[in-house]
Amino acid sequence: MKEAQVTDVQAVSSETASQTPTKTQNPQVATESDPWQVRLRRVVAFRNAAALYLFAIMFVIFSLWVPDTFLTASTWRSLLSNEAVTCLVAVGLVVPIAAGVVDLAIGTEVGLGAVVVARLLVGSVPIVWAVVLSLLAGAAVGMFSWLMITHARIPSFIATLGVSSLLTAAIAWISGSQQIVNLPGGFEVLGTGLLFGLTWPFYIMVVVALVLWYVLERTPAGRRIYATGGSIEAAQLSGIRTSRVMLGALVTGGVVAALAGLLLTSQLSAGDPTVGPGYLLPVIAAVFLGSTQFRGGRFNVWGTVVAAYVLAVGVKGLQLAQLPIWIPDLFNGAALLLAVGLAAWRRKPGTRTAWVRRLPWIGRLAAAGDKDMG
Amino acid sequence: MIAGCAPLLRVHELSKTFPGLKALDEVSLDVHAGEVVAVLGHNGSGKSTLVKVLAGVHQADAGGSVQVRNAQGRLTAWSAAREELHFIHQDLGLADILSTVENLGLGKPARGRGFAPVHSAAERRHAQQLIARFGVRFDVTAPVGGLSPAQRAIVGIARAMDGWTRPDNVLVLDEPTTALHGDEVRILFDAVRRVAASGAGVVFISHRLDEVLSLADRAVVLRDGRVVADEATSRFDHDAMVKLIAGREVADVDLAGGSGGQPVLTVSGISGEEIHDFSLTLRAGEIVGVGGLQGSGREQLGAMLFGARHRHGGRVEVAGRKLVPGDTSAAIRSGVAYVPADRRRGGAIMDLTVRENLTLPSLRPLRRRLGWIDRQAELAETRTWMRVVDLRPPAPEQPLKLLSGGNQQKVVMAKWLRLEPRVLLLDEPTQGVDVGAKAAIHELVAAAKNNGTAVLVCSSDTKELVSLCDRVLVFKDGRVISEVARAQLTEARLVRDELGLDANLKTDNTE
Repeated sequence: MKEAQVTDVQAVSSETASQTPTKTQNPQVATESDPWQVRLRRVVAFRNAAALYLFAIMFVIFSLWVPDTFLTASTWRSLLSNEAVTCLVAVGLVVPIAAGVVDLAIGTEVGLGAVVVARLLVGSVPIVWAVVLSLLAGAAVGMFSWLMITHARIPSFIATLGVSSLLTAAIAWISGSQQIVNLPGGFEVLGTGLLFGLTWPFYIMVVVALVLWYVLERTPAGRRIYATGGSIEAAQLSGIRTSRVMLGALVTGGVVAALAGLLLTSQLSAGDPTVGPGYLLPVIAAVFLGSTQFRGGRFNVWGTVVAAYVLAVGVKGLQLAQLPIWIPDLFNGAALLLAVGLAAWRRKPGTRTAWVRRLPWIGRLAAAGDKDMG
Repeated sequence: MIAGCAPLLRVHELSKTFPGLKALDEVSLDVHAGEVVAVLGHNGSGKSTLVKVLAGVHQADAGGSVQVRNAQGRLTAWSAAREELHFIHQDLGLADILSTVENLGLGKPARGRGFAPVHSAAERRHAQQLIARFGVRFDVTAPVGGLSPAQRAIVGIARAMDGWTRPDNVLVLDEPTTALHGDEVRILFDAVRRVAASGAGVVFISHRLDEVLSLADRAVVLRDGRVVADEATSRFDHDAMVKLIAGREVADVDLAGGSGGQPVLTVSGISGEEIHDFSLTLRAGEIVGVGGLQGSGREQLGAMLFGARHRHGGRVEVAGRKLVPGDTSAAIRSGVAYVPADRRRGGAIMDLTVRENLTLPSLRPLRRRLGWIDRQAELAETRTWMRVVDLRPPAPEQPLKLLSGGNQQKVVMAKWLRLEPRVLLLDEPTQGVDVGAKAAIHELVAAAKNNGTAVLVCSSDTKELVSLCDRVLVFKDGRVISEVARAQLTEARLVRDELGLDANLKTDNTE
């Protein structure tokens, strides 16, 4: 199971190396000329892949501490399957956050998806329609948040916090604050069906991550999302319709959250009105920790996937060590603070000194190169 | 003025060097009790550096000295008596949502009062008295955000003067009239005269020449960091002053003459927040400059034409196509490019790389099937443009925030030149860039002109306007008060027009 993850990371690494040679050794031919050793060193630098080092440390610790349970294939199989939903929500949240909106309603959006699909199924709506409608509900929530932010001009934190509370009420109303049970047969396949030993949600997550990675990193739409998140004013002045970009980002986040919610309902065979809010913190922690990985401080899909699993491994290990029940909260909270702190630390000018020191040298080198050419 | 007595403030041979720039060069000046001393100079003359050194924001070079008169009437080192200098900065530093009473309280350390109620009647009375000293009355319990600019300035001064133990302190006013108009200036000046009459020394930093001459007893003129004149204002006349401020004429940059192809941008009768009824015809291959003091409307014009800032009335047309306000994307498609003054906020996205910034306004040509951006083509295009604008080092994957100001601005220029715009709107194109980059950017502008682009340059730098432009429109109070053709274009002329010194400007220029 671990291998699956590592291959993922390598795919990302080689990909990152080709597009972010920021610490250029030779400014003349920035991309191609770097020897692979230099690129590799950059890729495996602690700063670029702290989560992987964290993973290695935790792996060693838990292997020594609780070897009987931690080192079994079933633990890892269930980890990859069970955490796929968290990871999926996190990956969906990357899009609005990259566009500059921290969607605090993401947890309750998951909860909404979970109860809406259950209510529809119990009301004997065909499975396909129930799925489509609950995804549409997620989209509608994203659109509502967007209206609040861009048209009512409410700051995004407050707007999404308010939406979150509205959704909490909606979830209670739809479910009557009860678990919605007696779902029709066949629906549980979505969340529990197995393929090569892993459940469907894992593959669904990978597919969604691939799509979002493609959009964010490879298409004009993604470029516009990052530009909007980078500076909304500058993006507007570059002719980007930032309002549309935000709509797309929030709707994407809403739909993915709703998808995660319905997968949960399928896994549990019940629409649980309490599942949503618990996702908010681990997911935000994963996105922010993920932003410190691979892409030099930029929110990105694969960093988030890795971060989500690394955090999950930590929580799992602590659970296996039979520590008290409050440990996951403690761990996730600490990880969030650490991740955001780490991101701020990267951005601090002081930490760029190595770079700045090298700048004059690069300038001289460039000048010398020009002379050679001329 | 009061000879024989030690001055309140003595600045002696003060220098301040920034990397590559001597901002202050052995500046000396005295301020006596009861005297209003104006410090004059154009943009970049060293006025603001002087204020910042006095306020302790910048450290002066070794060698110079600043001394302040202490309670015993002797001059002491200013580091020991910094409290005797009081500053009122351009933005006043008032909290808009708080009342006058509360704002006055902000300056004082809340000694021993802790959680005692602050809205006591005594405090209100005290505030009333303070304000009354300046010959004005207004509600001291209303939020200062609702006061007129002059009233706000008075609150600022009152706060600076509240709690002086003796009257002979020094008050430094840094461009206090920028936001004021006509009558308001009179109210403020009246207040300043009262301050001086009570025995304080006042240093009044400004570039509004006419106003200053009516207020100050003495004027110190700075140019390129040097004191070029220090005289009683009664000995100055306007023309002499303008010459002193503007200095020598600069040599012309060689621009291929010949302007005036087809009209590309036609603007008729648009108005905005600061600008009233503006019209313009911009022709292909022409560089038109826009000058004016801060707050004259000059800063808003570019964004207004581009549609990024609110405007109403009139029409803006590019090659016959009407531009709708608020739709920058359509403006870009019609061939308009806009380089805003604030590079960090509006010009570029600092977290993105050079490559990403460069291609941002037009990604469509690089899009392949499935919406894929063609990396190779993008990189090739980035390389080409880095060469054109001479970016050093030419690192396409560098986040923009790690580049120098000059290099950032080159990327911003490249980003727009890549679109081969019909109309190029430039707002302070060389603000905060080094001399080399400035020349390079000027060359790019000249090259664009020669390719038939119509260029509008809004700039506070008169030197830049003189060296680049075919004609210059000068703004004052939201209107174009003069248009200077290339033949008459000198810095002195622009400075005079910006200050609005000639009474018969209009007739003078309708040639």
